[in-house]
Amino acid sequence: MDQSRVLLRKRIYRDRHLYLMLAPVILFFLVWHYIPMWGARISFQDVRYIGQNEWVGLKHYRMLFSSPVFGRVFLNTITISAMKIGFFFPLPIVFAFLLNEVRSEGVRRGVQSVVYVPHFLSWVVIAGVFISLLASPDGAVNKVLQFVGIEPIRFMTSTRYIRWVFVVSEAWRSVGWDSILYVAAINSIPQDLYDAAYVDGATRWQQAWHITLASIVPTIITVFILNMGFFMNAGFDQVFNMMNDAVINHVDIIDTYVYRVGLTKGNFSLGTAAGLFKGVIGLFLIFTTDRLSRRVSGEGLW
Amino acid sequence: MKRLLVTGLVLMFATAFAFAGGAGEEPGPSDDGVTTIRIVGKDFSPSEEWNIQHIRQIESGFAEYSGEQIEIELVQVPEGAYAEKLNLMLLGGDIPDLIYFQGGDEVIANQGLLVDLLPYVNASSVMQDVLMEFNMQRLENYPYLLWIAPPRGRTAVVREDWFEEAGGEVPETIDDYYELFAAIKANHPDTFVMTDTGNTARMDYTFDHAFGLTATWVMEDGGYVYKKVSEGERDKLEFYQRLYAEGILDNEYVTTAWDTMEDKLYTGQVGLVYGTAGIVLDIYNDKLAENQGVNLVPLPPAQGVGQGYSVSSAKETRGWAISATSEHPDLVFELLEFMASDEGQFLDRYGLEGIHYTMDGDTVVFTEEKSNWWPRFHEVMSWDAPTPMLGPAGLTGWDFLLEYSVGDPDFPIPEELSPTWDALENLYKEYSYKIISGEYSISRFDDFVEEWYALGGDRVTEYANEVLR
Repeated sequence: MDQSRVLLRKRIYRDRHLYLMLAPVILFFLVWHYIPMWGARISFQDVRYIGQNEWVGLKHYRMLFSSPVFGRVFLNTITISAMKIGFFFPLPIVFAFLLNEVRSEGVRRGVQSVVYVPHFLSWVVIAGVFISLLASPDGAVNKVLQFVGIEPIRFMTSTRYIRWVFVVSEAWRSVGWDSILYVAAINSIPQDLYDAAYVDGATRWQQAWHITLASIVPTIITVFILNMGFFMNAGFDQVFNMMNDAVINHVDIIDTYVYRVGLTKGNFSLGTAAGLFKGVIGLFLIFTTDRLSRRVSGEGLW
Repeated sequence: MKRLLVTGLVLMFATAFAFAGGAGEEPGPSDDGVTTIRIVGKDFSPSEEWNIQHIRQIESGFAEYSGEQIEIELVQVPEGAYAEKLNLMLLGGDIPDLIYFQGGDEVIANQGLLVDLLPYVNASSVMQDVLMEFNMQRLENYPYLLWIAPPRGRTAVVREDWFEEAGGEVPETIDDYYELFAAIKANHPDTFVMTDTGNTARMDYTFDHAFGLTATWVMEDGGYVYKKVSEGERDKLEFYQRLYAEGILDNEYVTTAWDTMEDKLYTGQVGLVYGTAGIVLDIYNDKLAENQGVNLVPLPPAQGVGQGYSVSSAKETRGWAISATSEHPDLVFELLEFMASDEGQFLDRYGLEGIHYTMDGDTVVFTEEKSNWWPRFHEVMSWDAPTPMLGPAGLTGWDFLLEYSVGDPDFPIPEELSPTWDALENLYKEYSYKIISGEYSISRFDDFVEEWYALGGDRVTEYANEVLR
């Protein structure tokens, strides 16, 4: 038998427990992520509830792209996603940094627990909270604005502010949870590095910049590239629960459009076409960002 | 080792697929003359004990009514938005005999999977008695959904004490309504007079006809025009703009949901809302009485160019359908018929004896649980209930509906035009809010109309004129 195959078998046998532990994860991805890809073919078919689906080629893609509002919906999706990535992405990193500087273990754990909680609230609840805070001139936020001499703003019905409401509410919900990876990455930095820097006279700021940040750059890049894969997911639950008639044309995204025009009318092919379209763009963005990152920083996903 | 790994993976796959497939069971064959009828309905879950008790009483009642023994099996719909989950369930091949739809039915009907109910209805004396004219028109346009309930009109209801303070005159014209609103506002300057839920659809029931919006497509210059781009709509929006500017219409109506609307009524933040005629008005009335110690006064639709509530004849937007794959369509229809009969209505409307009501001789005595029961099948408007179900508010609302409902010869928008229609409706939503809130002056209505036609409104209007002529 080939020497390398013998070695491979030996390695597998040696690590058999690890492979067994990995098996459920592989199974999960196969069942929930890879097998469903086969279902994407219905975007090229008219679904028959009984009998064979009918092949219709690009009919549903034409329906998706030919809508008089598709251009605007597409632009809304990109704008909201870009705002979220641009303004929200750095926040968990900053939060993890700040948390790392807290010396009291009890305070750190307490803060972590508190900021994780919003992640477990549904968007229905969060939308209710934000609407009551921001919609009315008598809401809590407007009371504060009036106190400092600023005219009240109807944030929820303002085409100027509503997208920022999405960014802020997303940040409020997810900063804590999304910081977990960065906190873990910071915790794995060897203490020796800080000790050596301290002996060399590095200040806290210099340690944070040259050790902490430098050490978690690969994590930041990986998370950023993976996030680009979800770029076209501007947040259905959030937008659906927070949108209203006053701003609908400024916040209507691909997902809410497809939900209204396709899914509520039982047109799953249209929904699948939109999903595949978003997936292809996401894949393209992952590869592009990965290549760019390799060129600029030498770090990539693989 | 390899064998072990492969065996392990195969076992896991097999287990996963076995569970992923669910525990669906095929309906059992008729045994000892008992026929199984599988039913799927919204809020009609087999995991609710009341539903199980209800289907058992229906089985007994049906046996007496028809002499047929049936066993009803309720089908569980996965959690989530009903219309979406139902369609996914049907797509998976699980198609019960009787299906309640709340959207998404047209795709299935177009594939010939729903039974044409018109021949059944025409042959049924019970159905002929209970169906209203608009029901029959809808069935003729779209014979796959049966929905027996009063037309869903929204009636204006005002709290009695504020109404009396403002003179207590039932308004007739638009001007009367404005005077009533203004008087209430003068008496309660720190509150809004009324609110709506996200848009003005509820208010429109009271005011549309008065402004000449007597149907979805109205005649203008010899052709049919969508009501929202008609001259009447301009006048109506101008009126609403005035109400908004004067603090009569809640300035947060666009972010108000139905539950917050109710809360505003019960806590005195507004004094007038628009509710579905019938039991919903009774619920509003009871809760207001509980919280504020006053009752509600229902008001008729405003009088102007016309007076009435539009009742679309396009198609039922919800209702019961019989699957074309059912082995017993006649029996399933007979069940629908039974539920519309006096005996079926007694069961479906009063609920469970001992829980929702008790009997005192021949009189039904409601318990406190009455408000937690709702009919699972039909709400026949002409049913002569031995003990009245509705209170004064609910009954008056129904009387208004009977008196003022006007047929609206509407039609369903075809699939190829639905993305355009969605875009047109969204355009209206934004413009109407901005005009009402004063962000745009009423002169911008012309821009809206122009944009509406350019966005595809001309195609839809052309189609409407073809259909309606």
